Amino acid sequence: MTVDLRKDFVNYAKSLNVASEDKNIRTAISRAVTSYRNTVSETLERFPHTPELAEEVKGIKRQSMADLDNLLEQAMASVERNKGKAFYAKDHQAALEIALGLVGKGKTVVKGKSMLGEELHLREYLEDNGNEVWETDLGEFILQLRKERPMHILSPSIHVPREQVAEVFSKFFNKEVPPDIAEEVKVVKEFLREKYFTADIGISGANVVAADTGAMVIIENEGNVRLATGAPPVHIVVVGVEKLVPTFQDAMKVAEVTWRYAQYGVPGYVNIVSGPSKTGDIEKVTTYGAHGPKEFYVIFVDNGRTEMADEDKFSQALHCLRCGGCMYECPVFQVTAGHFGHIYMGGIGAIWTAFVSGGMEKAAPLVYSCLRCGRCVERCPMSIEVPAMIGELRERIVNGK
Amino acid sequence: MEMKLPLVLDVISENIIKHGSPLALKGSEVASWAKGLDLPDKGELLFYTGGEYQMLPFIDSLIKTITHLDQGSKMFSMMMGARNILNKTGISPEKMYASVLAKDKDRYNSICFKAATVLKELGFEFCYSGNEELYSGALLYELGYLEDMKDYVLRVAEVIKKSGAKTIVCLSPHAAEVFKFVYPKMVEGFDYEIRTYIDLVWERRDRLAKIKSESVVIHDSCRLARELGIHQELRDIMESVGAEVKEAPMNREWTSCCGGPIKILFPELSHVIGGRRVNELKESGSEHILTSCPYCLSALEGGRAKGDSALIEDLIEFLYRGVKA
Repeated sequence: MTVDLRKDFVNYAKSLNVASEDKNIRTAISRAVTSYRNTVSETLERFPHTPELAEEVKGIKRQSMADLDNLLEQAMASVERNKGKAFYAKDHQAALEIALGLVGKGKTVVKGKSMLGEELHLREYLEDNGNEVWETDLGEFILQLRKERPMHILSPSIHVPREQVAEVFSKFFNKEVPPDIAEEVKVVKEFLREKYFTADIGISGANVVAADTGAMVIIENEGNVRLATGAPPVHIVVVGVEKLVPTFQDAMKVAEVTWRYAQYGVPGYVNIVSGPSKTGDIEKVTTYGAHGPKEFYVIFVDNGRTEMADEDKFSQALHCLRCGGCMYECPVFQVTAGHFGHIYMGGIGAIWTAFVSGGMEKAAPLVYSCLRCGRCVERCPMSIEVPAMIGELRERIVNGK
Repeated sequence: MEMKLPLVLDVISENIIKHGSPLALKGSEVASWAKGLDLPDKGELLFYTGGEYQMLPFIDSLIKTITHLDQGSKMFSMMMGARNILNKTGISPEKMYASVLAKDKDRYNSICFKAATVLKELGFEFCYSGNEELYSGALLYELGYLEDMKDYVLRVAEVIKKSGAKTIVCLSPHAAEVFKFVYPKMVEGFDYEIRTYIDLVWERRDRLAKIKSESVVIHDSCRLARELGIHQELRDIMESVGAEVKEAPMNREWTSCCGGPIKILFPELSHVIGGRRVNELKESGSEHILTSCPYCLSALEGGRAKGDSALIEDLIEFLYRGVKA
């Protein structure tokens, strides 16, 4: 079978050109790049052990990806031991079906930000099946209302200035919301506050999973994840298998490196969740669902990740911590933001697109728009060799593999 | 799954394979700069241009031709069955040659001459393959045509072998990169010492004449700075000729790409990136930009804003001032 990608290349080039002329993207990204570089160099000075820790984390990641099956088995057993329920989803469809099976119909769901959620189109799927789903991360909430996709993994609505936020909020809340950031934050807070406490289910991702304890580590700043995973009676974690590491100690190291390169000296909140809420305060009888969720589910999603882990030339791409540092250094991303991507963004995103979210067809134009300049590798705490992988993908594209 | 990719990729890869030049330039055109220099074709040190600087004035006209073709049109799909895309599209080197400004042609063609002259002044003796010299194939490697490259490199290696050289000095960091890292894996016994032009000049920098100039800013090329680890050498050379170097915010191994690598597929975006880099370089306080890579030179020239006042030169052009003086 032959797929003609010529039109796709032309359309993609047009979208990049439009993005590169978008003043909002340009202003927001140049502000973000400057602040990223300054903050990271300042925090690395304050916490000088970080590069060494990153070296250690590389080792942890390498070891984990080589031992993925074993870690998954361990982690699932740990979750069950903690009185949660663990599931394994081989692919995209299986993940959605498991999630829907747990959620059901006619439910209200509050959701934390998750790239895997984007990969699966989880919110849309649950909505299509008769549920009300709210993104609780402010940036994602804005995009939900604007029916747009994220333009950055950490700051999804980086391209939307306050005036446009005010516009969409005024329409949605049916009242005048001024283009004032504090006011905008406040209206969302009030609106979501009610949702947290009436929702049936909270859904989150996780930044790291410790196989030995079944601990899910979730890094955040807004406090929305605490509420979304703490207030509703059910908590579902949807997480990619590449987040697995052997031990709790390892998980802490990975988390610290992640947030440091994600521009935080220390994040506002680090949530560690390993099972349902419980108490033994009355007669030492363990009772579940004390203040937090009574039910705790974890869906481990593969969806192409083990194939990636099995390929010597690509397994390193699974070490990605999603700190977003590479994007700030990428000359293409600096002018086009998430348009240089399909769910996953930037050079590393092109690789992820090929394996987990869209396949080679969707990846090809992205793969050819990478400069292979290599500055992402300089920034990456895991030193992921994106240019080499891009070269390998180009070869496969040309040879129709 | 087989994929049909943009036409320009077919044109460039076929040109390299058939004509030994991404833009199908003739050997005699590529080597015309060397007329009158009487360079031997055999020797210890091989001067390698790869035809890259010579090709620069034609890149933009190729891109213009390609981008004006509607890749979804009937005309376009008819051409897809044709064997010789080059002729069918009317993209002939002669045609492009005619459309290029004489001053650009002269400028880029003379860079090789200037490079050779500077090396001679420094006392290096070298040979040159002349009309027979073939492009390194770096773009086949860059663009994913590794299967084609396997055969192609053998032809290039054959020409190099004929020179009897032990060392190859490359003007383009892209050529140096593939000779150093790719060829040894594909060609048995390809064990030449690979040097860049910068390496050689740096070695004898004490012999360079002083050059009168305002301050300069160095645009480190990605390949040179990151793959080949060459960035301090450029500053040392500048110090030797007595030129003050002002530094851009992003430099050395943190250098910003010129946008050149995506120029053939995403020309507009490439220009935006090149323009931004020019501005970033000017933040150094110097308007005299020096680079050491043919594609950086072309991308920065092409990307800068209309009426921009910066002077953009290859290091070779700058060093030649010292020879002329």
